[in-house]
Parts: sequence; C-alpha cells; structure tokens
Amino acid sequence: MTRRAVARTFVYLSLVLATVVVLLPLGVIVLTSFKSEREMADDSGALSLPGDLLNLHNYVTAFQDGEMLSAFANTAFILLFAVSGTVLIGSMTAYAIDRFTFRFRKLVIALFLVATLVPGVTTQVATFRLVNSFGMFDTLWAPIALYMGTDIVSIYIFLQFIRSIPVSLDESARLDGANAFTIYRKIIFPLLKPAIATVVIVKGITVYNDFYIPFLYMPSEDLGVISTSLFRFKGPFAAHWETISAGAVLVILPTLIAFLSLQRFIYNGFMKGATR
Amino acid sequence: MTDTTEAGPTGRSAARRKEPPPAPATGTPGPPPAPRGTRLWRGVTPWLFLIAPLALLLTFTYAPIANMVAYSFTDWDGVSPELHYTGAGNYTELLTRPELFEVFFVSGYYLAASALQIVAALYFATILSFNVRFRNFFKGVLFFPYLINGVAIGFVFLYFFQDGGTLDSVLSLFGVHTDHAWLGTPTSANISLAGVSVWRYMGLNFVLFLGAIQSVPGELYEAAELDGANRWHQFRYIIAPGIKPVLSLSVILSISGSLSVFEIPYIMTGGATGTETFVIQTVKLAFQFNKTGLASAAAVVLLLIVLAATWVQRRLVPDDRVDLV
Amino acid sequence: MNRRTIPALLTAGLLLSACTGTAGTSKGADAKAVDDPSKVSGTIKVLTQRTDLVQDGTMKKYADDFRKTYPKVKVEFEGLTNYEADVKIRMNTENYGDVLLIPGVIKKSDYPKFFASLGTQAERAKKYRFTGFTMVGGKVYGQSPIGVTPGFVYNKRVWREAGITDWPTTPAEFITALKAIKAKTDADPYYTNFAAQWPLTSWTYVNGSVGCDTGATTKLVEGDPWAKGADLRVGDTLLYDIVHEGLAEKDPTTTNWEASKPRLAKGQIATQWLGTWAVIQFRDAAKKAGVDPADIGFMPFPAQVGGKFCAVVGPDYNQAVNVHSEHKAAARAWIDWFTDKSGYGEDNLAISPLKDAPLPAVLQPYTDAGVKFIEVDDTAGAQLKLIDSESEVGLYGPDYRQDLVDLARGARKGSLDGFLGDLGKRWTDAQRSVGTR
Repeated sequence: MTRRAVARTFVYLSLVLATVVVLLPLGVIVLTSFKSEREMADDSGALSLPGDLLNLHNYVTAFQDGEMLSAFANTAFILLFAVSGTVLIGSMTAYAIDRFTFRFRKLVIALFLVATLVPGVTTQVATFRLVNSFGMFDTLWAPIALYMGTDIVSIYIFLQFIRSIPVSLDESARLDGANAFTIYRKIIFPLLKPAIATVVIVKGITVYNDFYIPFLYMPSEDLGVISTSLFRFKGPFAAHWETISAGAVLVILPTLIAFLSLQRFIYNGFMKGATR
Repeated sequence: MTDTTEAGPTGRSAARRKEPPPAPATGTPGPPPAPRGTRLWRGVTPWLFLIAPLALLLTFTYAPIANMVAYSFTDWDGVSPELHYTGAGNYTELLTRPELFEVFFVSGYYLAASALQIVAALYFATILSFNVRFRNFFKGVLFFPYLINGVAIGFVFLYFFQDGGTLDSVLSLFGVHTDHAWLGTPTSANISLAGVSVWRYMGLNFVLFLGAIQSVPGELYEAAELDGANRWHQFRYIIAPGIKPVLSLSVILSISGSLSVFEIPYIMTGGATGTETFVIQTVKLAFQFNKTGLASAAAVVLLLIVLAATWVQRRLVPDDRVDLV
Repeated sequence: MNRRTIPALLTAGLLLSACTGTAGTSKGADAKAVDDPSKVSGTIKVLTQRTDLVQDGTMKKYADDFRKTYPKVKVEFEGLTNYEADVKIRMNTENYGDVLLIPGVIKKSDYPKFFASLGTQAERAKKYRFTGFTMVGGKVYGQSPIGVTPGFVYNKRVWREAGITDWPTTPAEFITALKAIKAKTDADPYYTNFAAQWPLTSWTYVNGSVGCDTGATTKLVEGDPWAKGADLRVGDTLLYDIVHEGLAEKDPTTTNWEASKPRLAKGQIATQWLGTWAVIQFRDAAKKAGVDPADIGFMPFPAQVGGKFCAVVGPDYNQAVNVHSEHKAAARAWIDWFTDKSGYGEDNLAISPLKDAPLPAVLQPYTDAGVKFIEVDDTAGAQLKLIDSESEVGLYGPDYRQDLVDLARGARKGSLDGFLGDLGKRWTDAQRSVGTR
C-alpha cells in the first residue's frame, strides 16, 4: 500500500509542478498588463503586483489602437474560409487515401509529409512572388490560400478517424447504387464529426495565432488581423510592454474560451480510431 | 446491418477491424468485374478527390520549392531585377565553409530537448489516461501552451530569464540567489531556449499520445490486471505497441523540428551569443547580406538532410503499416 | 515514374519563376514637382519604419497638415516592423507603396530601376545637403527629411556627481570617466542595448569622427577598416574596452530598449552611444518618468583633431518615390512638403537637410565647444555595400558587434586583435573579389 501511496504522491507532485511551470510565465503577463507606464518605468520586479489590479487603461489602448474590432472581423473571414477549406480538403484526402488503392498512394502521402518538413521561412521570397503573380497580394485571399495548402496533422486526424469507419458501410451503400462521391457525402463525412471538430479547433487556433503570413501579405491597415494588431505596438522604436501584455491577454482570451468549452472535442478527436 | 450499430463513434472498434482483410480496392472481390467504363471511373475517382489538395500543395508548397532550387544556382540578391547563373557555385561554397555547418551543433540541444519532451509527454499521457483527480484540469493546463501566440511566448520568456526577472524571483523565494545570466553564455542560452521549446510544444505531443492511449480498448487493461500485470507491464505490452504510429510521427516531426528551429531563438535572441541555428543563418544570408542564391542552396541542403534523417529513422524503426500514419 | 516527375517539377518551377518574373522596367521615370497644389491629387501610401509614430497618430497629424496645402491628396501610412526585410520582399513586386524609405539592401546602381528621380544633382544640391548619398548617373533619387549626427546620450547629473566636468578627449579618458562613474555612483556607466540589436549598429557611424576625414567612406572601400589607427578600429576597441572592464550592464542578453530610456533619464544608466535622433525620445521618457529632461545631454566621440572634436553629419533614411507609382506628382509633393515645411525635423531636434538652416538647439553645446561638422563623401557608398555583403561582415547589421561584445565579456573565445584581424582579412578578400583593390 505504501508503495502505491508513494507512487500516487509522486504522480500528483509531478502534475502540480507541471502546472506551475505552465502557468507561472503566463500569470506574469497578466500582472504586467495591469501595470501603468509609470510602474514599468519604475522597473518593479516581475512578480510584484500592479498598483491597481483593475487598471484597464492598457486594455483600452490595445483594443483601440490595435483596431481590434476590424481585426476580429478580418480574422473571422479568414478563419471561415481557411478552416472549412482545410476540413473539406483534409477529409477528401483522407478518404481517397484510405478507401482506395492506387498507384501513387505512397507518393501522395510522402508529398504531404515532406511539405510539412520544409521550413516556411526559407521559401518566403519564392512564395511571395508566386502569390503576387496570382494578384492575391494585399487581399484576404493570400493567407486563405496559403493556409489551405498543406497540413499533415489534419490529414492524420481524419485518416485515423476514417480507419475506424468500417468499409462494410461503404460496401452496402455501393450495393444500393451509390458512387464514391455519394458515399463520401452521405456516410463518411457525417461520421467524421468529432474529427472535424478537432481539426476546426486545432487549425483554427493555428491560423488565429499566425503572424507572419498576414503581416507580409496584407500590409494595408484595414486588413489587419488579430495577431498583427498586437504587433502594431512592437517596433524597433517602441516596445511598451504593458500595452503588449494587455494586447497579448486580449489575443489569448478567445483561444482560452474556445479551448475550455471545446476541450472534450479535442481529446475525442485525437482519440477516435487510433487503433491498429 | 449490425455493423452500423456496433461500429461508429465509440472508439471500441479494435474488434471490428478484425473482419476479413478490408477490400484493398473497393468492389474488386465480390460482384463480377464491372464493365470497363466503370473500372476506369473507379481508377480515376481517388484522383478526383485529390485534385484540390494536390493542386494547392503543388502550387503553394512545391512550386516555391522548385523556384528556390532554381535560385540556388544563381547569385541573386533577392530584389535586383538581374541575376546570373553560377552553376553549382553556391553548393561548393557551402561545402568549403565549415562555419556554415557548425551551427548544426545548436540543433543538438533542441534534439536532446525533444527526446525529453517526448518522454515527458508519454509520461503525462499515461498517468492522465487512468483515474487521477482533476484530470481535465491537468489535461487542459498541459495542452494550453501550444495554443499561445509565438511572439507572446517570446516576450513572456524574455521577461522570465531577465536579470531579476521571473526565474530569479522564484528562485530567491527558495533562498537560491544566483548571479547567473540565463541567456548569457552559449550553453546556458541554448539550454534555456530549448527549454522554452519544450514548454511550448509538449502539449501537442501529449494530446496525440493521450488520444492513442485512450483508444486502446479497456478490456485489454482489465484482462491484463486480472493476469497480475502492473502499470509498467501494461505500458510496455499494451500501450507501447498501440502508439507506434503516433510515436513515429512525433519522432519525425521532432527531428525535422530540431534541425529547422527558427522562431523561438530568432524572437528571443536574434541568434546572438551562439544561439544561431541553421535556418536563422540562412535568413541572415538572404536578408542581411543579400545572398539569396547562397541562402536558397542552404535551404535545399537542409531539406535534404531532414529527408535523409527521416529515411534513416524509418529504416531503423520500421512500421508494419505501409504508411506512417 | 518518380525519376520523371522530378525533372518535370523542376522545369515547371523554372518556368513559373520566369512567369512570376521581375518588376517591370520603367527605368528613368521622373517624379516632377508640380507648382500648383490644387492640380495634385490621389491617394498615396507611405511606407515607414516608425511604427511608433504611425501608432500614436503623429503621422496622421502631419498628413492632415499636408491636406491643408494639397486638399486633393490623401496620405495613408504603413508601418513596417522589420523594415529592411519586409520592404525587400515587397520590392520583388511593383507594390511597395508610393513613397518609401530607401532600404539599405538595394544596390545604388539599381536605384533608377526602383525609384523615380527627384531631379538632377545640380539643381537639388543648391537647396539640399546629402544629395550625393542617393545620386546615380547625375540624378538624385532620395531625400532625407532629417540629418543626424551620432554621439553619446548621457545623463548630465550622473556625470557631474562622478566629478567629470568636461567631455573626455581620448578613448582612454573616456574609460577613466566611466570608471569614476562606476566608483562614485550607483549607475551602470554604459548600456549596450545588446538584445535589441539595432542600437549596436550606431557604432559604425564612428567612421569619420575620429580622423575628421571627409573621405572616410572611400577609405573603407580601399583599405582595411580595422587597420591600426583606423576609425572603426578605434571605435570598436573602445566598445570592447568598455565591456571588458566591466563598465557595461551585467547581462547584455536581456536588455530592454524601451526600459533603458527612463532608466537613463533617472540616472540608473549613465551613457549610451546613439545619435541626435534619440535625444527627443529620451527627453520624452524623462518627462514620463517625472524627471527633468534637461538632464539629458549629448556629447561627441572622444577624439580630437587639432584640439577640436569632430561630428559627422549624414542623412537618415532617404524617402523616395516608387517608380511604378501612379501618383508620382502627389508622392513628390509629399516628400517636398515633409522635408521643407512639415516641422518633422524640428519636432525631432534634428539637423535640417536644407542647406542654409541653422543647427538645432540640442547641438548648442557642440557649437559652444567648437565642434567641427563634416559631411562624408558618399561616392564610394555603392562599392561599400557590395564589399560589405560579399564579406558577410555586416557593417550596418548587429552581428559582428554582438560577437565583439560577447568576446569582451568572455562568452566567446579569442582575442581582440585576432577578432579584428579576421574581420579585416574577410574585408580585404572581398575587396579583391569585388575588384576595388
């Protein structure tokens, strides 16, 4: 019994430690976001409490100067198209890969995997010229097109899930005269709901947090997204950390809310069908 | 029709999978061979589904890569309208300048950190798949860092490692007063940055492993416990085989991630004090010294190295599955 | 199958790269000034690196002022955080604003391909200084709204407390002064701002101040910048000594630019090597921190020629008109107005680019001390950039100085002589391959 108790204590201890490690740096940001410029100038320690715990001044500045309202609108637009695009494309790819054997199957999978291994930052000049030649520069379509491009993690999630949908369903539908597309639309897609939820969340958050692509391809002020709005404040000449912290908290907040309410789907989505 | 009710989103479909080998090509065994037109249609169908994804993939990923390969044979400076073909000159230069490859040592730190990361993720995934109090809270906490904005993380940790910053304050709570500059020396800085990387990405590995572990049917655990297996045995014989594909994917992503580390060190130190990674060096070559041709060659070399590493890993730990997923 | 697809992909890629092509060649276009303001119209985009000024609305105020004289022109601003890298990528297209600051990466010989000319040097030089910096083929392509001179921003009160009354005249005296500050006050004598990276590049502008030589740039192109007694060697050695003697901050890797301003104002930091452009920022920080802005002082590099200090005056970033712009007249109007009439220079306590303008008040101590002002001849500027890129030294980048600071504080192995000698060798090798030797 004692051995059990020791083991259990160790387990809880490690969990608590991990929690502290995760939450501590974040907590400091929250504290900083409530400090005034004067307090920052006074260089109070990182762990010190701000003078006024409800000093919302920085939040107001971050929201207004960062034009977060229009940023939210733009972000929502991009999210809508990029995420639904990814869901459609990812599920179609997974369907094709799992349900059919065809000559280049392995090659296709390899293509997607290799694409993920290429660091995007090294191809930026080439990608930029390409996007520009399509005339998509400085429009909302540039990031949408780029986000829909490749995503092995989404494909993996769909693939794992599709594997647990028995082929017999396909076969009985085929006997009823359905073609591949009908099978996909009427049987596979509806059954993928948990996986879709997972992909929506994970991909959505990745798109939401991405900074470089919107920054490079949509320089116009009215095309700002949430992540770039945060970085209007950080230039080589101005780094007002108290405003940036407030902005960061504002940016993280929707993520947190989405995460807390949709947790279940995330875990379930990764879980389904990950059998052999 | 019983299939439909028993299968479906309960996840306990391991038994289900034991049915006769899934028809490799739908429709081939069973009904008499379909007329030629239909067979052609069937051959083409998968490609129809793949048109959109492949088109996007080829256009936005592979076309730039091809362009980049083309640039690597020139002396382009990245913006001038004129460029000259220099053949394999850039590649020769890469191979004759050892200092360009020395930066890979820095990746070693991240590689070691990823190993730790995977082990930690496995550990937490295992203990959190059994009954632990406040399970959901812990799951949430561990996954959350993955969802946070990259530059925000950079700032958080710059503050963290500062002289008198968060880390120093916490240590002083325990009575430990060090005068250590956490980002001050190459070794210390690389370890700290690798630590930030672990903080950020462990959540993803954790959730992937958790999903895989929880998909193993419960009956197996019960049966094993009845047979007297303890946690460790359960891990070794039940969990481990079940998560092989996920583990494989994680290892590949870790290796490629370690070799192409960019964001965290770039944001936090800009590559100074011995924290420069290969990709940071490539970016500097392209944007500070206008050697886009050379930088493209470097990027191509990196890609080849990552592919080679992946191939080696697949050879060493073969999967009985044909695809890695 | 695979063997055939790869060459196919490559060919497709090469074809694509040909298609994505380069910016068109509207070489030799001019942006002429139009005399009648009511005839100028359009919406123009101005690219700038001053994200802070775009953010807090200062630039908008200038735009509104501009509108009073040119009612039909609307000005929009785009602030770029990593200006050089971001603009460079955009210049691969035709879409890089109507007015932009000329990035350092563009080869001087390429200026006509990207920018519209503002006039011949002969006519511009009558009114403006620094025309040589953007002159190609007799035509001028850019105009800087302000002139700057590098120097030390320092806290007068702290220096007084340490017992120093006069500006040091040699590097050795400077070190002694810093040591006195360290012994007698609580302040960090010097702050490198290592982590922000770009402040370290200001040490390159020491070039010319030490030897008081208008041909300093040409010297860099033709000789070894780190030969014994050369300007850069003197400057870099001073920086090395400051850090080596423990007169800089304890942990350079976690410095904070923004925080350093109030800290210097309050006297927790004594000195930083920057330029006139910084003084206004530090004075603002002083006001916000509740301290007297008059404590902020400015002094030249500790080197004298003929018993007098020397200060190099040069342009800041030059504004230029995009050669593909569809509103060249409006763009030109903005540049002219911004340089001549906007008051941007005065607001920034900067040296005016107009030939006959007086020096700003902040440089009054300089005039009192009889500091000699010189402009460095930039004819060899294009060659300088070529050698700089070829050698991968990066005079205008932070890297080699960060390595220098690391060397000085023991985070990097080697000796100063070895380090500078290596830089010199790479530089002279590059000179040979570029063909200026």
